[in-house]
Amino acid sequence: MDKRKVKETLLGGLLKNNPTFVLVLGTCPTIAMTTSLAQAFAMGIATTFVLIFSNLFVSLLRNVIPDKVRIPCYIVIISTFVIIVQMVMRRYLPDLYSTMQAFIALIVVNCIILARAESFASCNKPLYSMLDGVSMGLGFTAALCVIGIVREFLAGGAFAGMKIPGFPAMEGVGASAFGFIAFGCLMALFNFVIRKVNDRKERLKKKELPLSEGKVGTMEEAA
Amino acid sequence: MDKAKFRSMLRCVIVLAVIALCSGLLLGAFNILTYVDPLKSTYERFAADTGATFSKMTDEEGKEYSDGSVVYYAVSDDGVYHAFLAEGKGGYGGTVQLYVYISENKIVKVVLGENSETLWATFEDDFFDQFRGLEINQISSFLPSDITTSSTAKKSIRAIGGAIDSVVKYYNETAGGENNG
Repeated sequence: MDKRKVKETLLGGLLKNNPTFVLVLGTCPTIAMTTSLAQAFAMGIATTFVLIFSNLFVSLLRNVIPDKVRIPCYIVIISTFVIIVQMVMRRYLPDLYSTMQAFIALIVVNCIILARAESFASCNKPLYSMLDGVSMGLGFTAALCVIGIVREFLAGGAFAGMKIPGFPAMEGVGASAFGFIAFGCLMALFNFVIRKVNDRKERLKKKELPLSEGKVGTMEEAA
Repeated sequence: MDKAKFRSMLRCVIVLAVIALCSGLLLGAFNILTYVDPLKSTYERFAADTGATFSKMTDEEGKEYSDGSVVYYAVSDDGVYHAFLAEGKGGYGGTVQLYVYISENKIVKVVLGENSETLWATFEDDFFDQFRGLEINQISSFLPSDITTSSTAKKSIRAIGGAIDSVVKYYNETAGGENNG
């Protein structure tokens, strides 16, 4: 296994290709399920489970599935794992399931899952595809949790369902419109930080690069 | 028909059919593992919400009304609680289930059950507390307009109203009559 590719795949979904903040995929569950940290976390974990297993099976069957029917095949595979998540949640987490039921079913049409099946799992080995599912799922979960923390704190003056003394709830902040504003602000902040880090890395690289290894110097320097 | 084209088409059909079949088998296996007996889960829910024990369902058949229905009705073993699993029609995502508990002709608790509504975040945290203390035997029906909320989720409100209305009607026709009798 290529260590560099493993590292790239694992970090890709979390930072460089974060599905929520960079690729801007899965916006519907991002807005709908981030009113509280608990819901955001549950949605993220459910999506991660579906991503891992759908990627694995799409990758395993990539040489068998004809091109013409690949999308219906992917949808059948994805919906199977979504229904499994529904069954397990219904059995073991009935309270959470009763509030999230509609959105759990909608994971089937979450564009992150279909996009990863089409662009990554269908042309990579099963292990890499699973790693991509883990990475993308965790990136999605982390983004949802961050937005969930901000929205829950501002709308209810709470963290993970616990009231924080001294912080009043702000009415109207829990609405979807504010969800979009919070999402946009956090997306801008995330991309700003990532860009700054990348710029710094590139500057350091350029400084370390000696003249003999291809650095373009001035005529005075050469003389 | 071109033989190559036919073969390609046949392959597509077979692959899709095999994947669908495997998917069905996998879901069947998971269904066996995670199956929840609706009657048993309702008993458990009634007991968890009230702290009382429920050993038999008084009405397993339920009753249908215009805007909702009573799915199950049970009286706790000590006779204190009348527990209902009610459904309201016309929600945004279909029916909305509510667990309604009555003691001494008053609603003491309402808990949200299975539903596919998407706007719960627009309701107040203590939304279901407004039904507490509602004297069931003093009213003959309950309308969605009787609900107080700042939420604009009209269809969800209609379904909740339908479920409460079904409980009111059922209690006054059957359960309340027995109780008062």
